[in-house]
Amino acid sequence: MNWFCFVWTVLFSMVWQCPAAPSTPSPTAPGSTAQDEVECPSNCVLLIYSNRSTSEAQDPLVMTSTELNPDHYEAQRAAHAVRYYLNTLYGTPFRQLSFSKVHQARTEDLGEAGMKYLLEISVKDSLNKSSEKLCSAEVVYPRGETQQPPKVQISCAASLQLNTSAEEEDFYKRYSAADSAVSGKDIPDSYGHVDPEMVPFWKLAGVASTFIMLNESNENTLYNLAQVAKITQLESQNGQLRLEYVVLLHDMISQEIIRWKMLVSWSPAEGVKVSDTQLLPKCHCKPPTP
Amino acid sequence: MRGLLVLAAVFVAVFGKETFHGHQVLRITAVNEVQIKLLKELSELGHLQLDFWREPIHESLPIDVRVPFESLQPVRSFLAYNEIYYNVMIEDLQDLLDVELREMMRSRAFEPRSTDDYDYTNYHTLDEIYSFIDLLVKEKPKLVSKVVIGKSYEGHPLNVLKFSTGANRPGIWIDTGIHSREWVTQASGTWFAKKIVTGYGTDAALTAILDKFDIFLEIVTNPDGFQYTHSSNRMWRKTRKPNSGSSCVGVDPNRNWDAGFGGSGSSNSPCSETYRGPYAHSEPEVKAIVDFVKSHGNLKAFVSIHSYSQMLLYPYGYTRTPCKDQAELHEVVRRAVIALQRPYSTNYKYGSIINVVYEASGGSIDWTYNQGIKYSYTFELRDTGLYGFLLPANQIIPTAEETWLALMTIMQHTKNNPY
Repeated sequence: MNWFCFVWTVLFSMVWQCPAAPSTPSPTAPGSTAQDEVECPSNCVLLIYSNRSTSEAQDPLVMTSTELNPDHYEAQRAAHAVRYYLNTLYGTPFRQLSFSKVHQARTEDLGEAGMKYLLEISVKDSLNKSSEKLCSAEVVYPRGETQQPPKVQISCAASLQLNTSAEEEDFYKRYSAADSAVSGKDIPDSYGHVDPEMVPFWKLAGVASTFIMLNESNENTLYNLAQVAKITQLESQNGQLRLEYVVLLHDMISQEIIRWKMLVSWSPAEGVKVSDTQLLPKCHCKPPTP
Repeated sequence: MRGLLVLAAVFVAVFGKETFHGHQVLRITAVNEVQIKLLKELSELGHLQLDFWREPIHESLPIDVRVPFESLQPVRSFLAYNEIYYNVMIEDLQDLLDVELREMMRSRAFEPRSTDDYDYTNYHTLDEIYSFIDLLVKEKPKLVSKVVIGKSYEGHPLNVLKFSTGANRPGIWIDTGIHSREWVTQASGTWFAKKIVTGYGTDAALTAILDKFDIFLEIVTNPDGFQYTHSSNRMWRKTRKPNSGSSCVGVDPNRNWDAGFGGSGSSNSPCSETYRGPYAHSEPEVKAIVDFVKSHGNLKAFVSIHSYSQMLLYPYGYTRTPCKDQAELHEVVRRAVIALQRPYSTNYKYGSIINVVYEASGGSIDWTYNQGIKYSYTFELRDTGLYGFLLPANQIIPTAEETWLALMTIMQHTKNNPY
C-alpha cells in the first residue's frame, strides 16, 4: 500500500463519523416503530401500568409518632417529595433545587387524614452551589386505595424566590423566534452525553417531570428522570415557549421505567407549567424465534 | 473500513513513531505548463524522497507533496527560484499522526492490542469486554486465568477472572453487571481487573491480600441483558429468558436467589422489573454462581456491585431481622465509606438493604450470607439520580477509583479477620 493511500486513510478517519450508538429502547422486530409511538409492532403486546405503586406496595411499617433514621428510606422518599414540590414552584431550565441531606425526620400518624412526615433538610440550589438552606418541611401522604399526591409545605419557600436571570431571558428570546423548532431524542444518550445546546431542555424536562413525580408519589415510590425520550418544540402561545416531551421516569422501588408524555410551557415570567400528561404503555416483545 | 483503519493504525504505530517528524505537506499551485514541467522534473529527483499525494498534471489542479525534513530546504529554494507559488498544508506530519492515533484509540472502531491500550474512559460492548478478558489473561498468565462458570440463556459464556498467586487459597468474589443497564458497574469491573494486575507486586496492601486470597471477578454477570442494552433497550435490567405463558421476557437476577425467595420484596409478574422467576435459581446466570460458590466452598467475602444511589449495604433485604453479624458489618462499611470519600468527596449512605433502600427478596448477598460467607456486601455506585443509569463516561474512572478504596477496606478486613 503506498504512503498516499495509508496517510489519506488516516486523514479520512478524522472526518469519518462513528454511527450513533443505538440508544432508544425499541422492540426487537423488523420495521419496529420507536418506543415513543403508542403503537407496538404486531408481535408485541401493550402493557398499561395497571398496578400503580400503591397496590404492589410492600407492607408500610406501622408508624404512629416515630423518630426516623434520616438516612433510611422512609425519610429519604419524603425528602424527594419535597424536592419535586420545590421544583414545581421554582424550577427553570437554569435552576433546579434538590436536597443534600436529611438531618432529622419523624412521622405523625394523622389517622384518616394520612401520614405526616416532618423533616429538617438542607436544600441545595443549583444557582448557588456553595450555600445550602436548612429548612423544615412537612409531607402528608393521604390514605386511600387510589393514588393521590402528597401535600407538601416548606418553611423556607419564600426565601427561595428569585428574579429571572439574564441567562433565562436570553434563552427565552432565542427560542421564542418564530422559526424555532427544537427537537431531539435520547437525552442523555446511552453514554451519558448531553449536547451542550440541549442541556437547558434536559433540565427543563427534569423540572417539568417533577409535576408528574409529585402527583405519582406515595410512601412506596422514589422517582428520578431516567432519560428524555423525545422532545418537540411547538408553536409558542401567549408568550410561552411550548414543548412536547416524552420522558422516561425511573421508580427506584418498583425499578420500573415509566413513560410519560407531557406538554410543557415556560416563560421567565410565568415559570414552568405542565399539562396534558399522558401515561404511555410499555411494549413487551417476545424475542425473535431462532 | 474498520480493517483498513486498524491496518492504518498498525502502520502508523509501527512506522509512524520516528518516521515523519518535521515532514511537511506542501500544496503547490502551478500557473502554466512550464511550471508543470519543472515540477515533473523535481518529482524525478529520487534523492529528495518526495512523496506526491497529488501529482503535477495540469495547472488547474493543485499539487500536493510530502517533503521529508532534510529535503525542505532544497525544495523551497527550487520553488522560490522558479517563482512557483505554494503553501504549507501540514506543518509537521508526525504531530498530526500522533493526534490522529490518540483520537482513534478513543474511537469506537479501535481494537486494543494490549490492556494498556484499552479505553477505560469509555463504555464498551460485550465483545470488547470479552476480548479485554482474553487479552488480560494472555498478558499475565501466571496471575490471571479465565474460569467459565456456565452459559447464559442465549449461550454466552459466563466468564470469571481468577487472580491467584498460589493453590488452595480462600477466595473473595466480586461481580458487576448483574443488572445490565447499570453500565458504570461493568466499566468499573474492567478497571478493577487492570488495577489488580498492575497492583500486584507494586501495591503492598493488595499484594498482601493476593498472597493469601484468590480474587474472583465476574465483569458481565448478565451478558444477555448487557447485549440487549446495546442493541435494543438501554434500560433493560433483567435476564433475557422468555417466560412461558407470558409475552414478557426476563427475570430479575437479583430476586432469583434462594434467600427469602418469593417474598413481598419481589414480584410474581413476568412483566415486572423485579420478577423473581418461576423458582429460585431458575436463571442460568444465577445458577452458575450458586454452583461455583458451593463447589469452591471457601469464599470468605462476596461483593455484588450495582448502580445507582451511592450506597454500601449488607444483609438482609428480605427481612427486618438484623443479621447476626450486623455490628461488625456495619463498622466495616462505615470505614469503607470513609475511604471511598477520600478522592472525590462522594457521599454514600450505608446500612442494611432493607433499612436503607427497600425490601428486596431473593437477593444475592442474602443467600451468600446465609451460606456462611460473612462478609457479603452490595454496592450502589454513582450517581444519586441526576444521570442515573446514564452516567457520563467521564465519571467511570473516578467512580472506579473511589469504589476500589472501599473494596480494599473490605478485602483487608476479610484478610485480617479469618473465620
